[in-house]
Amino acid sequence: MNTLPFAVRTLRRQPARAALGILGVAAVGALLFDMLLLSRGLVLSMQDALDRGGFDIRITATASLPGSGPRIPDATTVARTAASLPQVDAAVALRFGTGRVATGEHRPAVAFSLFGAEPSRLRPWTILRGRDLPLRSDARVGEILVNDVLARTLHLEPGAPLTLRPSCRRAAEALPPVTVRVAGVARFPFDTVDQGTAAMNRLDFAGACGEPQGDEADVILVSAAAGSDADAARNALARALPALAIATNAQLVGRLEESGFSYFRQISTVLATVTMTFGLLLITVLLTVSVNQRLGTIAALRAIGFSRRRVVADVIVESVLMVGIGGTLSLPLGFALAQWLDRILKRMPGLPEELHFFVFEPRALVLHASLLAATAVVAALYPVRLVSRLPIAATLRNEIVS
Amino acid sequence: MLASAARFDAQPRVAADLPAILISRQLATARGLHADDVVRLAADPSGGRAREFRVAGIYEPIPDPMRINASKHEARLHLPDLLALTADAGDPLALENVDAIDIAIEPKADADAYARQLAGRVPGLVAQPVRAVPGEAGLFVVLERFHLAIAIVTIVASTVFLLALTVMLVDERRETVGVLRLIGLTSRRILGQMFAEGLVIAGAGALFGIALALASEGLINRYFQWRYDTALVFVRITPDVIWQSLAIAVPLGVAGSVLASWALLRRGALILVRR
Repeated sequence: MNTLPFAVRTLRRQPARAALGILGVAAVGALLFDMLLLSRGLVLSMQDALDRGGFDIRITATASLPGSGPRIPDATTVARTAASLPQVDAAVALRFGTGRVATGEHRPAVAFSLFGAEPSRLRPWTILRGRDLPLRSDARVGEILVNDVLARTLHLEPGAPLTLRPSCRRAAEALPPVTVRVAGVARFPFDTVDQGTAAMNRLDFAGACGEPQGDEADVILVSAAAGSDADAARNALARALPALAIATNAQLVGRLEESGFSYFRQISTVLATVTMTFGLLLITVLLTVSVNQRLGTIAALRAIGFSRRRVVADVIVESVLMVGIGGTLSLPLGFALAQWLDRILKRMPGLPEELHFFVFEPRALVLHASLLAATAVVAALYPVRLVSRLPIAATLRNEIVS
Repeated sequence: MLASAARFDAQPRVAADLPAILISRQLATARGLHADDVVRLAADPSGGRAREFRVAGIYEPIPDPMRINASKHEARLHLPDLLALTADAGDPLALENVDAIDIAIEPKADADAYARQLAGRVPGLVAQPVRAVPGEAGLFVVLERFHLAIAIVTIVASTVFLLALTVMLVDERRETVGVLRLIGLTSRRILGQMFAEGLVIAGAGALFGIALALASEGLINRYFQWRYDTALVFVRITPDVIWQSLAIAVPLGVAGSVLASWALLRRGALILVRR
């Protein structure tokens, strides 16, 4: 009989034990798989969200994240300089602020994020209903885009008037209210689950802020020209605008990976290591006890002609079979568990809706399979040592005497 | 008051009459600064309008989990010094502006009522108590739930393995159990013995686990404190945690042992001794 059918029969001799061992490996494997998904989940999710936005490069005044550092002065000229480069397709200057809408006496005002965007062919939002803002950069258009949350909260539809109080500085302000018309409902990148967001053309935003001549931007979004990659465009921009901080999506994600996202990478490394050690220890114990209980049988097999290599192979295959079946079961279990854990973590306040903590990538699958294969082999080492050094005659004698 | 985004230049001389500042340990280490060194600070990235200060001391920043990844390169200035350094010369009100005012109330005063009263008296002011609102799904509540979920999965995996091990261990003694049955011991008596044995093993295992956790507590804290350059405590094994662990581990261990023994005792004595 070949090694594999023999190992299958060995497992089937003790179905409860084999089933529990496999289930244990499946549970440990699922946790390990989830930790692998978690280790790079946020980074992959963020990279995907940035790439889906259609812009490859962010220009800011300093290396601070957009909105948290100083603003870019003379933003229109900077955006034009950027757009004039052959490696660049479009450059859109954005200014961040906040807006408030009064909802009645003795009721709290509804606060939301407000963008001022330079009109451009490429837009940092996706229209869901109604129409986009008019592409006019020479005059105010008196229109606004709102996201679904704000539309639902304020019962807004395209064409409805909206009176809001903007706030454009980081200090408290009391600007007069402005009334604009809702052009459409849009989806904005990086909105949180319950965040209201609205966008206006730059001139409308500057007018509402009481700075009609204001020409500052928090960030300038740049898309690379067809045939030019993000790195080439970044290098060209760095030469043309040496005083500004210019980062590709990959660089931005790398920066976040080093700072904001490192906690989950650390925790996943610690938990994956603990899980692996736990799994290794327990599979070793299961195999060792199993081999100890079958020493007489193994000695008898050696006596009737099974080679040492063959009985060693039987133990290794038994280990591989147990870990292999458990590991395969761990994948659907891990996916289900990842959904549950992701839902828990996504309740974090201020987290963009499109970000996920557990994201699948083929690398995680390969790593999962490799780690489990290594576990199967290492867990079999001690039982293999027992089997390979088994004294045949003495074991058989002990078996008969006992 | 914290000066952020300030340009920082160290000067190798001492001047007792300069305004004093405190700098964080991390900044002192990074820039090789010591008490009584003179530094030049500017709010402008180009270094314009810089002023000289004397390092009066070095402090350890208050551990703040919300700023775990943030750079801890900080300096603390007297408020008038900071305002003079950062205020817009063209804004006459700039020297009167602050970002926030921390208020200490009388020990028995109601913080919520005081905050409401203050906000009502000064329109446009946001006043709120420092402590979090109970039940608010804050960052750490979510992280706690996540860690609890991971703990549940780990307990499930451990339980399955524990059952597998107890099944094997009990199976190893099937002949002994069979003989005990044949010489007259009742199933109940044998089960009681297994229960006591399971209790001792589970208790010893749980105590060993707690000892291991206590031993690794310092190691984990030191690693993460080094990794994030903070005095924050990441793992703290409290008496509550110890009791919780015992309350879960011991009953699980005993239940596993009794369950496996019960499955064995259901078979006849002759089958157990393989006759």
